[in-house]
Formats: sequence, structure tokens, C-alpha cells
Amino acid sequence: MRIGTVAGRVTLAVRHPRYQGERLLLTLPWRAETFAHPDQFDPCIVVYDELGGGVGQVIAISEGREAACPFQGPVPVDAYAAALIDGHFYKP
Amino acid sequence: MRIATIHGHAVSTVKHRSLEGWRLLIAQPRNNEGEPDGPPQLVIDCLGAGIGQRVLISSDGMEARAMVEDQHSPVRWNVMGIIDPEGQPAR
Repeated sequence: MRIGTVAGRVTLAVRHPRYQGERLLLTLPWRAETFAHPDQFDPCIVVYDELGGGVGQVIAISEGREAACPFQGPVPVDAYAAALIDGHFYKP
Repeated sequence: MRIATIHGHAVSTVKHRSLEGWRLLIAQPRNNEGEPDGPPQLVIDCLGAGIGQRVLISSDGMEARAMVEDQHSPVRWNVMGIIDPEGQPAR
């Protein structure tokens, strides 16, 4: 899972039939340099959220095949908010 | 599987149910020269890896789901082993 900071929300006018009541977060994934330089991120991605993450919150992003695992049946999701991070301790 | 260094840990209250009770460590994958390679990953750990230790991390999601005993878990990366300290003869 990657670490990311929520930068905003995405809302859909027209949606895939498997998306119902979805909550999508525009998220900036962290890179190795982000711990020392908090303004450096990888390009933003959209993350499916069921936990209620808000703007400015740090989240754990599950990517790839595992992002669709929490759902019943096939769902076109490749980034999923697995946890809301309260805090972290970092010492490289 | 990749070699990574443990740089820290994360604390979370609101999370997927399968993550309850698991340590979440911040692991930085390393390249051939031992330099950081790619983004840091949050990994689950049941072996007790500590900060500064080199570990073997696996992206085998099926094994991670078996570890947390939840087939609907979004977990992928997990600690498969703690590597012997550098300079120590191989056993």
C-alpha cells in the first residue's frame, strides 16, 4: 500500500453500472522524498473510498488487483483507501 | 520479493477490518546500489521488524490475504523475512 494525501473529491455525472454511491478521492501519492519535502508528490490518482477520508487526510492506498478485493464480484477499481492514517513515525 | 529498509510505522484507527491488530510499517525498497528505489510502501508485519532493519517484502496479495485470514482484504505487501545484518557471515 502506498501513502497518499487527499487533495480533493471527484464526483461523477455518469457512472459505470458497478459504481453505486461511490466516494472518490483525488489523492497525491507520496514518494521517498515526500517525508523530507512535504510538497513533492507523484502525479495525482483517484482513489475509491469507503472510510470517509477528507481533504488533507493521509490515507493508505491499495493498488492493483487488491484494490478490487473488498468488493463482491468484479469491480473496475484499481486504487482503494484501505486505512486513514492518524500519524506516522519516520526515521530513515 | 524485494529488499527494503524499515523507515518507520503508521498508526490508523479507521481502516479496513482485515487490518485490525496488524503492525503497519513504512518500508523503502532498495535498488542494486542500496539506494531508495520507488515509493515507500506500507507493509503488514508479523515478524517484529524494527526501524533500520533490512527486510524481504513480498507483493503476493494472495499470501497477504491468507495472513490476515480475509479473502476481501486490500492488503498486498507483507514482510516475509528479516535479513541478516550486513557484515555478518551467511549461515
